[in-house]
Amino acid sequence: MIRLLSVELTRLRWRRAVLMLIALAVVVPAVMFAATAWNTRPVSDQELEQARSQLDNRYSQRDLRQCAREPQNYGLDLDAGEAGVAEACEQQILSWYVSRTPLDLAGESKEGTLLGVAAVVCLLMLLAGTTFVGHDWNSGSMSNQLLFESRRLRVWAAKAIAVSLVALLLGAVVMTLYWMGLRGLAGSRDLPIPVGVTRDGLQVCARVTALAAGSALGGFALTMLLRSTVATLGVLFAVSIAGGTIIGIIGSDGSARWQPQYNLAAVVAGDVTYYDQSSVPTECLTGQRVPVDVDCDGEQTISAAQGATYSGVVLALVCGASVASYRRRDVP
Amino acid sequence: MSGLVIETTGLRKEFRSRRGTRVAVQGLDLAVPAGGVHGFLGPNGSGKTTTIRMLLGLARPTAGEMRLFDQSVPASLPSVLGRVGAVVESPKFSPNLSGRQNLLLLSRSIGTPDTRVDEAVETVGLTGRDRDRYKGYSLGMKQRLAIAATLLKAPELLILDEPTNGLDPAGIREIRDTIRDLGESGVTVLLSSHILAEVQQVCTSATIIGNGRLLASGTVDELLGEGTAHRVVVADTSAALATLAAAGLNASLDADGEHLVVDSDDGAAITRSLGAAGIWLSELTPLRPDLETYFLELTAADTLGTTTGDPR
Repeated sequence: MIRLLSVELTRLRWRRAVLMLIALAVVVPAVMFAATAWNTRPVSDQELEQARSQLDNRYSQRDLRQCAREPQNYGLDLDAGEAGVAEACEQQILSWYVSRTPLDLAGESKEGTLLGVAAVVCLLMLLAGTTFVGHDWNSGSMSNQLLFESRRLRVWAAKAIAVSLVALLLGAVVMTLYWMGLRGLAGSRDLPIPVGVTRDGLQVCARVTALAAGSALGGFALTMLLRSTVATLGVLFAVSIAGGTIIGIIGSDGSARWQPQYNLAAVVAGDVTYYDQSSVPTECLTGQRVPVDVDCDGEQTISAAQGATYSGVVLALVCGASVASYRRRDVP
Repeated sequence: MSGLVIETTGLRKEFRSRRGTRVAVQGLDLAVPAGGVHGFLGPNGSGKTTTIRMLLGLARPTAGEMRLFDQSVPASLPSVLGRVGAVVESPKFSPNLSGRQNLLLLSRSIGTPDTRVDEAVETVGLTGRDRDRYKGYSLGMKQRLAIAATLLKAPELLILDEPTNGLDPAGIREIRDTIRDLGESGVTVLLSSHILAEVQQVCTSATIIGNGRLLASGTVDELLGEGTAHRVVVADTSAALATLAAAGLNASLDADGEHLVVDSDDGAAITRSLGAAGIWLSELTPLRPDLETYFLELTAADTLGTTTGDPR
């Protein structure tokens, strides 16, 4: 088995399409990191001076006067009589001309570019898993391989472990480097780093790494089942377009719980909150007086564990069908 | 111990589709003895490749039993596959890898040293081109690479499905000589080919199938039988005809009227009779049915005889 695994890792290393996807999984996050660093760079003195010069124009002066009268309209939680209103208003108007948000680590880990990188890595690993084995079917070399190792379960397992290992390693390296890079960037800019945010970010990285490995395995297993990269991509496209709609139609009550995108997002972000009208008591919808103890919120949460269980069951079903098909069906 | 390298009993393969069931192999009994080159012949679609694919575990039989080296397959395939080299249909390798890389992957999967790849490449005459991408190979080079792949295992049984497809005449001769040498060295070769003259040149025995059924099997001599006539070339055909008739030999002019065909397998008697009459032969050729004629007669008869019973 070790020998077969080594062969499959070599095959992966020699396959240009897979190498290109792996390179993309490194380059795209690197570009995203550079873009994030650039977009959140500190305001320079020159930029500040340019912005200050804008305050002299009559529109800015009018805004400053209005802000002094009604600061709450400008997003300032101050009374007009309080001292420092003029200073606060100036800073506020000034910020319009240097509209750049500083790097926010907490925001990055919850809904920022870290999640974008996660999506990119998982998608590319899914494609890598698909194209890796799709090539074997497309070229017909699968049958040649079976003339040397006829135990199909072993062949399936060796290929599956190879793609999963590569995705696991790549996901771990790319996600950790990205997050620790952002952490280092914040540190170098003397930005406040909230307690626990580094750990939270690393937890996101760990979950995304597992998801990347699962994506690669899922793409591989589905292609082994369908025996074509194009068919696999077609099915995934169809599921992404029509899957949610079908689940919505079939399961009228609480169907959102079974939507793939919510469950995957829960794995990445830690949890996902969605609105589920079916969970809202009828009395909340009739317009009548609602008793105090009735919760009309309608918001439901999918935890990371629930999302992982959902994704794991789907992955296990695909892998099971893939193994059964590969072991039984004739190989062209 | 049966002494057979390949043995199938009642082998059957059905392909089911929405349009119905197609029977590719129906009750095939195949027996290939150890050693020598065994021809496996049949028209297109007769079930040759399907049979080979079932033997190698690439297709699952619907019914019947198969044995390789006296071991039941596919159950024992993992233990016997190391003794079998095979090229099934066209060569199938990764097009973006070099020939050498393709062989290395196969070689490493069975734990043979990389030097074995060099030897195989040299044996099939691909040295110097083995580092080129497979997709740039000519059909002949692809065939050679496929044969090189079979040699990675040092096989005791070699199954070759149309191994000379796309080869130039020199290449065909090389492969033919390689096959003959392998057969003489003790390797059993099952050779599936449409080029019947080639099969006749290298095969010691043959099996002919049609519509998935066994039509004939045996040594080539058994299949073709002894020659029963001779072609005679003489200057005076009329005198020769009279002389042969006087000697009790049935002779006639052939279709073009220039040569005699004598219905006798006794060449010495023909020579003696004509020589005694002062008629000198410039040519005496035994007329023996060739494999192609035999094959065409056999498969045509099978097609005619099974028109209504054709499973397709």
